[in-house]
Parts: sequence; C-alpha cells; structure tokens
Amino acid sequence: MNDPYKVLGVSHNASQEEIKKAYRELARKYHPDNYHDNPLADLAQEKMKEINEAYDAITKGTAYTSSSSNSSSYNYGYSNSQGSGYQSGYGGEFAQVRSALNSGNLSYAEQLLNSSSNRNAEWHFLMGSLCYRKGWLDDARSYYQRAVSMDPSNNEYRQALNYMTMSGNAYRPARYEYGSQTDACDICTALMCAQLCCRCR
Amino acid sequence: MFGYIRPLRPELKVKDFDRFKACYCSLCHTLGKEYGLPARFILNYDFTFMAMLLWGEDEPETCCKKRCPVSPVHKKPMCFGSEGLSVSAGYSVILTRWKLMDSVRDDPFFKALGSRIAMLLLGRAYKKAQAKYPDFDRCVRERLTELDELEQENCSSLDRTADRFAALLSAASQNAGGEKERIYEQIFYHMGRWIYIVDAVNDMEEDAKRGNFNAVLARYGGKTELGDVETRELKVTLTHSLNLIISAYGLLPKTNWTDVIENILYLGMPQVAEAVFKGEFKNIRDGVPR
Repeated sequence: MNDPYKVLGVSHNASQEEIKKAYRELARKYHPDNYHDNPLADLAQEKMKEINEAYDAITKGTAYTSSSSNSSSYNYGYSNSQGSGYQSGYGGEFAQVRSALNSGNLSYAEQLLNSSSNRNAEWHFLMGSLCYRKGWLDDARSYYQRAVSMDPSNNEYRQALNYMTMSGNAYRPARYEYGSQTDACDICTALMCAQLCCRCR
Repeated sequence: MFGYIRPLRPELKVKDFDRFKACYCSLCHTLGKEYGLPARFILNYDFTFMAMLLWGEDEPETCCKKRCPVSPVHKKPMCFGSEGLSVSAGYSVILTRWKLMDSVRDDPFFKALGSRIAMLLLGRAYKKAQAKYPDFDRCVRERLTELDELEQENCSSLDRTADRFAALLSAASQNAGGEKERIYEQIFYHMGRWIYIVDAVNDMEEDAKRGNFNAVLARYGGKTELGDVETRELKVTLTHSLNLIISAYGLLPKTNWTDVIENILYLGMPQVAEAVFKGEFKNIRDGVPR
C-alpha cells in the first residue's frame, strides 16, 4: 500500500490546509476534462482514485477503506466507469460503430464506417471521433465541422466541434497559467518584501 | 536534426538551466563514447529532451565534471546514470542517418554533397546503432518510405503525412513496458506530429520556391501564404497536440528533470511555434535575445 502522504506529495507533518491544497491541485491535474476521449483516460482515472483514497485516509486518520458513502474527499469526476463514452443508446445503423469506438477497437470502427453508404451528419461525426482517437486532430475537426453544418441542431456534434476549436484541455500549474506569469511573480515578490519588513523589526 | 524542442531559457531557474546543460553535455559525451567523434556533431535539443524524458525515477544520477573536445581546458558538469542517454544517442544516430539518406536521394547533386559526406562519416556509428536497435531502425526505414510515398502523391491530408512521422517517433517508446510504454507512445506520437507540422510551416516559403512537397502547402491547396483562418487552424491543432502531450506527461512519476521538462512543454514549445509562424525561428535558434 502506498503512503498516502507520498501520494499527495506532502510531508507527514503537513497542516490540514496544505494537505487540502495538494489534494485539490492533483484533482485538478487528473480531472476527466483533461482526459476527454483520451487513450490514457483509464490511467488518469486510477490516479484520481488513488488520490481520493489517500485524502480520505489522511483526513480520517484511518487506513484505507474503500467505502465511498461517507467519504470526505470531493470525489471529482469519472462518475461512469467508461469515462466519456459515445452514447450507444442511439440504436440505428451506427450503434455498432459507437460501441467499437467505446471499446477502443478503432480498426473495426473504421471498417464499418468505410463500408457504410449512408454519409449523413452522424457518419461525419463518427468519422471525426475515429480520427480524434487516432490523434488525427486536423481531420477530426474537418469531419466535425461537416457534421455540424449538416445538422446544426445536434448538441453532441456542436460540443465535439467546440472542444476542437478550444484545442482540448490540459492541466497547467498556477505558475504557468496563461498571461499570469508576471502577476504571480509580483505577488511572490510582494510577499517576500513584506516578510522581510516583518523580520527587520 | 530539428531543434524545435527546447526550453524557454529566461524562464528557467539557474539550477534547472545548469541541469539542462549537464544533460546536453552528457548526451554529447555518450554519443562520442559509444559512436565516435563524428556522432557528436548530430547532438541536438530534441534528443536531450528525449533523454530527460526517458530518465526513470528510480535511476540515480552520478554528477561529475569531464573534459570535452569543445572545452578541453575547463571541465564541464555532466550527469550520468540513465539508460535513456544511451537510447537517445542510438536513436539519434539512426534517425539522422535516414534523414541524410532522404536528402541524398531527393536533393540536387551539389546540395546533397554535404549529406553524402556526413553519411560517410556516420557510417560506422550507424552500423553500431543499427546492430543495437534493429527494431527501431526497421521502423524508421519503413515509416520514412511510407512518408515518401504520401509525398509523391502530394497527399492533402496533413494528418495522414504527419501520422507517419509521428508513428516513427512513437516507436521510441518500445521496450518501456506496461503503462509507461502507453504513456511514452502518446507523448512521442504527438511530439512527432507537432515537430512535423512546425517544420512544415517553417519550410513553407522555401519549399514553395523550389517546388518541393510541403504538407502544409498541400493541405491548403498550394496557397503560398497562410491567411488568418489557416494560421488559426494550424495553431489550434498544434496546441491540441501539445495539450495531449501535457496530459500524458502528467501520468508519469516526477523526476529530477520535471521542472525542465515542464518549462519546455508549457513555455518553450509554444514560444517556438509562435516564432515559426512569425518567421522568426532563426532568431531563437541563434540565441538572439528577445
């Protein structure tokens, strides 16, 4: 069993506040939004479970319990075990493609899509999803765009396109936040100066 | 070979910059020791990054100072102790050799003369690296042949061509084993994709002039200048690859190299991409202060 303090990256005599801060930072790092449709989503999910358990173990002062009913951690994300799958409840011609994509069987999904003669909005959307899973991000965006222009009212397609125009999502530590580099430094410098003044007296 | 994967120096802590330099020198030393003097000349930042990335959290560092041909009087600090250094050295020899081969085949006689000579000089080093990493060598050869075929047919899908180069680089993840191999595979795949596209943008003007294949030119139907829409699309797709690299990297355990690597991912690579779009990459490469 891993040392819960090591999992959260804090020392054994860390304060409640420090532990909470470390936990929140890690939860932000492994948040499902950063692993949307990602081939490594399962690993991120495991990490999240690990830090949730570590946080529970420390705050309750107990060994590991897998009880989740009264857990004190925030238990971020990953509510369904599949991460963010493609709803396969749609039925119809492309149900098989969706389930192939969900199970990660990309070559089968590709084969089904290529043999389909029905090139409607959903076909373009699923083609985009397939490209995305392969890491073909430029083609994925083109297919999603086509799907949205063929069926502008569909939320699923619009969301997918939106995600592409945002360049996806990734965790950034506070010191690398966009445009706030100098601000963060300024705050630090100000605090250091303040501390110096206090010491002088 | 490319040199696009580099830290943003002014934002590195001095200790991290020293570490980065030490890793760079160690890789050079490894190249010299394992593959002979000519191999030292292929040293670059991209493979230094690979060495840092492959440095396992359980591999202890031995830091020391050694002389080198460039600095025979003042010894340089170096850091050894990782198998990653050897692997990066071997892979860089193999990749450079195949890139030279490419240019010998494609470029006009006089332009290719330099590549021919370099290939001769690297001959022995390549034989050694090939014997040590036969799988990687085969993979590079196959992917570059496929890439060449796509270039011949002037493939208009940027992803399709970038994919072959990305697949070539992701072969560097082999033998890591288990979860790590999956993580490295994703990092190297998108690293390769990012490098390929950035390189295509960087070479666009020259390729257009010479009539060579260029993946970005082919993607936009031969336009020789990028408009706002095209630039935005390319930037979005590059940032997306970078985000996927960052998410994958977050799953690896922290090492002594984490701070340098984070600087490269969060600051260095975005800065390089920005400069390439502005046509100012040369300034970064030559170390012109901003």
